[in-house]
Amino acid sequence: MKIIRSSLTWLALLAGGRAAPAAPAHDMYLCLTVGDGYVVGAKVTTQNGIFRRGDDGSLRHLSINYPGIFALAFDPRDPRWFYAASINGCLQTSDGGASWRIATGWDETEPKDVRVDPGLPDRVYLALPDGIEVSTDRGAHWVRREHGLPDRGKYTQVLGVDRTGTGRVLAGCESGIYLTEDGAQSWRRVFRAKATVDDIEQSPHDPARWLAATEGDGALVSRDRGLTWERIPGLPSAAALYNVAFDPLDPRRCAVGSYTYGVLTTEDGGATWLDRNAGLPAEHHVLRVGVDPDDGRLYAGVYDEALYVSGDFGRTWRRDGLEVSRIYNFIFVPKAAPGAAVPAPRP
Amino acid sequence: MKSTSLPLLLLAVLSAGRLAALPAFQAPAPPHGVVLAPDLRRAAYRARIDEVLAWQVSQVNPAHPEAINLPALIGLLASHHAPDLASRRVIEMMRDPGSGPFWMLPLVAVTYLGRDQLTPAAQVALRDSWRHVMQMRGDTENHFAMYYASLYLISQFYPHEPGASWYTGRSSEESLAESRDYLIHWMDLTTTIGQGEFNPTGYITEYAIPMLYLATWAQDPAMRQRAHLTLDWLFADLAAHTLNGELSAPNARTTDTAVLEHSNDKSAFYGWLLFGNIPPISFLDGFGVYFSAAAKNYELPEVIYRIAVDRTGDYVQRDLKRTRRRWRNSDVLMAPIYKTTYMRRDYVVGSYQGGMADPIQTHVWDVTWAVPDPRGVHNTMFSMHPTSSAYDMQTYDAELPGGLVKRVTQQLKPLYDSPDKFLGGSRFERVFQDLDTIVALYAIPPGTRFPHINGFFSKDLVHLTEDKSGWIFAQGGRAYLAYRPLASYTWVPAGKGDRRLYSPHLHNGTILQAASVDEFPDFAAFQAAIKALPLEFALDPVPTVRLRTLRGKNVVFTYGQAPVVDGVPVDYSKWKLFEGPYLNAEKGSRVLTITHGPLRRVLDFNTLTISDSVQDGPGVGEAP
Repeated sequence: MKIIRSSLTWLALLAGGRAAPAAPAHDMYLCLTVGDGYVVGAKVTTQNGIFRRGDDGSLRHLSINYPGIFALAFDPRDPRWFYAASINGCLQTSDGGASWRIATGWDETEPKDVRVDPGLPDRVYLALPDGIEVSTDRGAHWVRREHGLPDRGKYTQVLGVDRTGTGRVLAGCESGIYLTEDGAQSWRRVFRAKATVDDIEQSPHDPARWLAATEGDGALVSRDRGLTWERIPGLPSAAALYNVAFDPLDPRRCAVGSYTYGVLTTEDGGATWLDRNAGLPAEHHVLRVGVDPDDGRLYAGVYDEALYVSGDFGRTWRRDGLEVSRIYNFIFVPKAAPGAAVPAPRP
Repeated sequence: MKSTSLPLLLLAVLSAGRLAALPAFQAPAPPHGVVLAPDLRRAAYRARIDEVLAWQVSQVNPAHPEAINLPALIGLLASHHAPDLASRRVIEMMRDPGSGPFWMLPLVAVTYLGRDQLTPAAQVALRDSWRHVMQMRGDTENHFAMYYASLYLISQFYPHEPGASWYTGRSSEESLAESRDYLIHWMDLTTTIGQGEFNPTGYITEYAIPMLYLATWAQDPAMRQRAHLTLDWLFADLAAHTLNGELSAPNARTTDTAVLEHSNDKSAFYGWLLFGNIPPISFLDGFGVYFSAAAKNYELPEVIYRIAVDRTGDYVQRDLKRTRRRWRNSDVLMAPIYKTTYMRRDYVVGSYQGGMADPIQTHVWDVTWAVPDPRGVHNTMFSMHPTSSAYDMQTYDAELPGGLVKRVTQQLKPLYDSPDKFLGGSRFERVFQDLDTIVALYAIPPGTRFPHINGFFSKDLVHLTEDKSGWIFAQGGRAYLAYRPLASYTWVPAGKGDRRLYSPHLHNGTILQAASVDEFPDFAAFQAAIKALPLEFALDPVPTVRLRTLRGKNVVFTYGQAPVVDGVPVDYSKWKLFEGPYLNAEKGSRVLTITHGPLRRVLDFNTLTISDSVQDGPGVGEAP
């Protein structure tokens, strides 16, 4: 097992944070395609799109069979109301996926992420290949909100909404990480990147802590609400890191997913990073990792392989279905009653 | 509605003698002459349409209705054959509807062609198929053209229906408005800064069919007119860039097959159908039927026909196009493409300035020589840098880098990651063309996958000579060709008798010059003329060439710098949208003037007018 040590104990403070609260029961949603041969124009022969994992571990396909959904975002007031970032644009459902509306028009294509502002949940942010759009009416209308973004370099892969401040959002773009503190009225760059920033996540334990995964700068950490960022030296940066996942139950544990490096984890607040690919397919091309907030199980979606799950944070893995899949995202949604203002934690 | 008994009998008879290919493909190549009489020209066009539809109908075996696919359905309905059989099959197929623009577009044709033929149950099944299956819009301009033309027409067909009855969740009127907006936006781009997927050997059909359907079935006269204008625009562009029906280089998108054999793609089908001067492709997939099903609603204007088939001299056509959208890794969203085409009776040389127009399927330059029958002939010569790069894919695709290259090879482009391929543009190629001289320079960074260039040498070349001067001479058809590699090379078999010039040098280049056999007493004289021309070049620090062309131009071209011709730098900023003897348009104008002899047609998207005029004088075919 390869051991990667970090001289930067940036997560040490996390360990001093509050202990993990008793986890609410969550539903796990996955965005994925199944099969390696789909191309626009081909017959869709497999079940694709959104899957929900039941309490018994079974995976149920939800609604539309659509091989191009990359991210989901739920309205915290009503788990039946959610948004999907898809090739067609932003899709929106108000009945748990029974019916859908294409919420955006011809000028919005292939969004990679969608997020709801938990403090003002009518406000929805959309990450587009050519910038960022915002809806202030639950997806009924959308406007470009790009003041402060560069004309070029605003390819946006991911958005991170700060749960502590309404209208405070971090955007992972081609040219860096951008921050808005006024609901996307204006943006400013807080990190200059060599290549696209693929993921930005806020710690469930300490809202001032953020992690980012990038294609050219390795993994980044911010301890000041995203105002400043620094490299995590213990993690590789020669190839892209795709995403980061906090363990909501243990502030010392985090995982990183990468097509090249597979799964990397820390269990000591970032002092040591471990290669956790034993038990994964030999090439361990990981598209996404996520941690179940109910039990701390670590999930990995391995490109064109399957969903893998680990009960010991990557020491051992078990193949868990979804054969020949590409899993773009995991979302864990509280089983909240409609009307309960519970923000949906991200993995 | 017709009785089904006779058509079914006809189907059974025809099925017994099932054809492997369209009859015209098996027939001798059509002549390259001009049909002057409009009635004969029109009749020939309609006969070709009928041939396609009859061929499609002949493929239907009523004993195996499960084999009836969308092209077959459209063939039946367009021919008014077996509507009951078609109705039953529609009902079966709509139980498991497909998704995406390639499904939507033919379904629109089934809907419109079948509106007075299909049974009520079949029509209900068609309508229901649009309710819940989320139709994939796709991510390229041809996808969007098909998707929005389809959504436009199907929303129009079922008006005043609420969002709950559509997969979009939007009412008929909302989808109609969105589709209209996109289509006008795309037409606006095309008529101001150029087409994105320009001069595609195959994808021309993904634009021609939706425009034809809109021109045929749109109820709004303005949209119908826009589509008609666009069809003329596309086909005028095609006509001016064909040599005996073969579409010339460059092409934003082509295929591994068509890059070597230009006639082996769908553009040749349009050459055959519209100009009648080339055999159709051997494999006529559904797209030929989809177009033919409504083709009698369009008639090619004589001025475009004449450009394709009636040329009196050589010409240079310069055009402005644009790249596919670059999401990343670029200073511009859509970079301009500066195309040059030099068309002669015996060959055509075409190019743009290099770089990538599309991440996978771009063909930047070549010389293509005329042949009496292009079927199976690899009548072209060029060089290229084989690119295989997730970085380049990411420039145009909103995707993560890992697995991108692998995925492309899985998606009908198996040779993308092959070092011996001949298809694709490169960020590290710069090209300059003056008439029939090409200079292609390469500066490939160390560490690049596939650090070499490939030169294509056809099995159909004759008299190939490697001269000690460094020039490689050959003859293709009635074209003398001189190819000068700027670095050492070896030969590698490339299949079917073709050869690949493999030159493994990061700094590299190719000079190509061509001439007609009529210009020299013999091949040796051509070689002597080429060798007598001054030529200097260096490969470091970047490739640079200084030469005098066969046409007497002094060219200096350095990688990364503007080419200089007779002491004057080439100023691409002055490039017009179209400039040549036949097609002319100012950048940003939305107006294309098409001219041939006394014939003139002006396509004006500002006023949505088509203006025809004829200069009076001695008539065509009459003595002056």
